[in-house]
Order: sequence, then structure tokens, then C-alpha cells
Amino acid sequence: MAKVLMKGNEAIGEAAIRAGCKNYFAYPITPQSEVAEYLVKRLPEEGGVFLQGESEVAVGYMIFGAAGAGERVMTTSSSPGISLMSEAISYIAAAQCPAVFVNIVRGGPGLGGILPSQGDYFQATKGGGHGDYHLLVLAPDGVQEAVEMTMQAFTLAEKYRGPVMIMGDGLIGQMMEPVEFPDDLKTEPTNKDDWATSGMDFRKSKKRNLVKSLFLDPTALNDNNLALKAKYEQMKKEEVQFELYNGDTDYQILITSYGTMSRVCRTAIDMLKEDGIEVAMLRPKTLFPFPEKAVFEAACKDSCKAVISIEMSMGQMVEDVERCVKGRRPVEFYGECGGDIPSPEKIIDIIKELL
Amino acid sequence: MGLDFTGIVVVAGNYGSGKTETAINLAVACRRTGMDVNIADLDLVNPYFRTREARIPLEALGIQVILPDTQYMFADLPILAPAVADIIRQPSDLTILDAGGDDVGVTVLGALASVLQDKPVRMLQVINAFRPFTGDVAGCIKIKQEIEASAKLTVTGLVSNANLMDETTGSHIHQGYELVKSVADHAQIPLEFITAVPGILTERDLAHFSCPVLPIDRKLLFPWKRTLKT
Repeated sequence: MAKVLMKGNEAIGEAAIRAGCKNYFAYPITPQSEVAEYLVKRLPEEGGVFLQGESEVAVGYMIFGAAGAGERVMTTSSSPGISLMSEAISYIAAAQCPAVFVNIVRGGPGLGGILPSQGDYFQATKGGGHGDYHLLVLAPDGVQEAVEMTMQAFTLAEKYRGPVMIMGDGLIGQMMEPVEFPDDLKTEPTNKDDWATSGMDFRKSKKRNLVKSLFLDPTALNDNNLALKAKYEQMKKEEVQFELYNGDTDYQILITSYGTMSRVCRTAIDMLKEDGIEVAMLRPKTLFPFPEKAVFEAACKDSCKAVISIEMSMGQMVEDVERCVKGRRPVEFYGECGGDIPSPEKIIDIIKELL
Repeated sequence: MGLDFTGIVVVAGNYGSGKTETAINLAVACRRTGMDVNIADLDLVNPYFRTREARIPLEALGIQVILPDTQYMFADLPILAPAVADIIRQPSDLTILDAGGDDVGVTVLGALASVLQDKPVRMLQVINAFRPFTGDVAGCIKIKQEIEASAKLTVTGLVSNANLMDETTGSHIHQGYELVKSVADHAQIPLEFITAVPGILTERDLAHFSCPVLPIDRKLLFPWKRTLKT
């Protein structure tokens, strides 16, 4: 298929269709409403359903219901909406159902603003809802990657039978870039019949499936948490994705940055190179599992004097970076989170202060 | 073959067709011929990448830019500046109304119906052949009908704004031109002009087109590119 020009939000919608998602439930919120606007036109053409819930709380449980029945299902929202869905996300993780959540992050806390932000890093990677669970979190840096990650998200959700999140920011959702769609996702044989409440007649089975998150027996609850933990450990081994930019040089500074912010850092690195200053960037593409080993190794390169995490937040991912660097290099931070995105010049000034 | 626009011109089209870039560059091109030009941001739908981002360079050229009050600049609320009605009542040589996307985006024109009444208004539909839903004649006509029903105005002319942003080639511009020409033939309205970033088209290309070409200088840039431009 030839390239088309798409907004991130539209491209995520189209990618879901190509991943075989026929169920999309959502509630509108800036800056991601175009996903719904796109899918309300496209899904009926594919025999799918878009249903607007009466709130994000309702949408969270609509997702749980469809996922529990073994359907490919997605919702999209932005920060306050994800907060409202977080209870359902915890239930879905506990009940081990595959579902895709997209958070096109806006400024917070509270109602915040409608401009881009990365202030939901903690929410996405450390909780949001209650209990011992994790989301597998993918963070695209542009429209093309948003497409690829959305399609991957469905595969990963089914592989791990759990919720997967795409974490973009307002700019990823709103900007347009030329994009090419990979081949449609094949429907692989799954073990859905073993657990999904798709109907005994439908499955031609006499076995009753039960999807639940309530385990009153302490041993059963502990076993369920151990099963979840085993999945997260497997993710850490098999699903870590990252990019090391300008890493083959004798860089003096290592930037850690992701999403939109990493695009600005990339430009700053190219401009610094012209001045003879080598800086590298480690860009996590999975925020959970975090590229722990890669961050440690990149920070410990002999030429590297310091690490700086640059984020559109007040300092969230930097805590993971510090954890991974293990005190071997100083870890600095720079962030803005009102909605204005720091310019490449600003980043250059910050880096020069570190030299 | 020059651009010939006076009075009130509404720039409409589907989401992301390039209405704002087209409106801004049309304002600049007409201003450079010495006309008095003003432009109003009527995009109440999408809070990102709007005329308001290009306010400073436009005002530097002497173009009056009508925006919502500064305090509402980043609100996702449907706020229409009262000054819009004023500039419609007393248009300058050229008054450009940059509407929002799709039928929803032009609904606001209905609210201005009483001031637009009895005024000669032209409404342009901007089409980028490489956007979803406007890759064929039927898609473009469907959008045209939806816009007309919602705006209670008739689309009087078409604009081809074929592009894949930085990846645009001459061939894309030709493909867009051919599509919009077919739409124009079908709807029996003129293809008013096409757009192109300078340097993409050759002299031979230019001779091929039966309409003017509006040069586009992109005003709405990504934050990682903004400062690289000279």
C-alpha cells in the first residue's frame, strides 16, 4: 500500500482495524477524539462496532466484558479518562484478559490542559489502579511507530493475556506524518477456548469458563499474583525494546528520553555533533519492561561523564534511570510539562552546562 | 495565471486537508500584491496546529489576525471571537475565514448566517488526495455535500493541496491535480489553484497545470524542526 498522510490518532484507529480489532469503545476527550471520529466511519465498513460509553468508568468495564469474551478490543483516552478507567484496568490485569489501552497524554494533574505531556509515566508503569500488576507499555515517537506498536499491542496482549498500553502524548496523536501500513495481522491460533467466556455452545465445549478477579482463598490469591509476576518476569526477558542513538561515538553525555521529547533531543544531538560535541540518547520504546541493562551499559561507557533524563514531566522516568545506573554516573534531570515542548536550542544549553 | 480573490473567502475541507496552511499562504500571497488582508481562525474543533500558531509572522506582514482572546487560546471550547462578525460586516480587500475540519468544523458558519447574508461569499474546499476519505472522487464529493449542508453555503471552488509533507514529490502534486480536476468536472465548479512547496515543480510541470500554483511556506512546524528553519 502506498503512503498516506495521517494524524497519529487516525493511524492508531486504522492500525487497530488491520490488527483485526472489531470492538472499540471510548468516551471523547481532547487530544485523542480523532480516534473515535475515524473509527466511527471505518469500523462499520469492516463489520466492527464503535460504542460510546456514558463515561470512561463504563468504557473500562465494556472493555473488560469484551476482552473476557475473547474478543480483540481497544479503547483510547487521555490522562483524566485513563484515571477513571484505572479500576477496570486492575480488574482486567487480575482476571488475565487481553486488551489494548491507548493514552494520548495531556497535561496534568487534575484537568490540567489539552497540550502534550508525559506526566502519566508513573501511572502507566507503576500502577494507576490498585494491586500488584503491570501494564506492558509501548511509547511511540511518531505516527509510523504508533501504527506498528498498535498492531504489536494486540499480539502482546494475547501472548501475555493482559492489558497493554500505548502511551503517546498530545503531539503524537495530533501531528500528521506520511505512514505506511504493514500487512494485516494474521489471526493466530490461540488458547482462548481454555479461558474466554465465549459461550459453551460457541466453543462446542462442556467446560464452564469463568473470568474473575476475586480470590477469597489466600492461597488462590497468592497463586494468581505469582502467575502475574511470572508474566512480568517473562516480559522483562523477551519484550524490552529501545533505540540507542549516536551510541557508537565516544559520547560525553547520555540522554534518556522517549516519545515526542526524544525527537527534539535527536535534533539537539545532530546540532551538537556539528559543534564537535558527541552526545548519545537511549530511547526506551517499552517503558515497561524498562531497558534496565541497556541504560546501565550505555551510562557506563568510559567516555560518558553523566546521564540526563529529559522529559515532558517534572521527573518521572528519571527514577527508573537512577535505579538502573546504580550510582555509577551522576543522573541529572530536565523537564517541562505545561504543554510547550522544549526547543532543540534549550536542550543544547542544558547539555553544555553539564560538560 | 494569477490568484484572483477578493471579498470573503471561506477555506473549508476535511480534517487535515491543509486548510490552515492554505489559508495562511493565500493570505500572505495576496498581501504581497498590496491588498489589505485579514484572516480569522474559525477552527473551533481542533485545538492543535491552528492559525493562532502563525499569528506573529502574519502580523509582521501587516495581515490582521482574528483569534479568540488570549486567555482562551488553548481551550478546547467553541469560542468565536466577536471581532469575526465585525470583519464580515466590513470586509477588507480580502477576508479569509479559516474554518474547522469536516462538516462539524463549518457548523460555526451557520451561527454567522445573519452577517453573511447578502454578502458575496466564496467557499473553497481544500483536498489532499493522500488523506483518508478523499483519495477518490466519490469521497471528495461526499465531504463537499456534508460541508455544504452544515455551512449552509455552497462550495464555489476546489483547491488541490496534495502532499505527504517532507516526502512530497512532483508526482504527488500531479496525482492530486488529476484527482481534484476530476472532482471539479464532476461538481462543475472550478479548480481554483493547487499548492506546492517551492522547488518541487519544474517549469515543465507548471506549464501542465490549467490553474495557478500557490507557493506554500509551511508555518506550522514540529517543535523539533521549528528552529532548524532559517
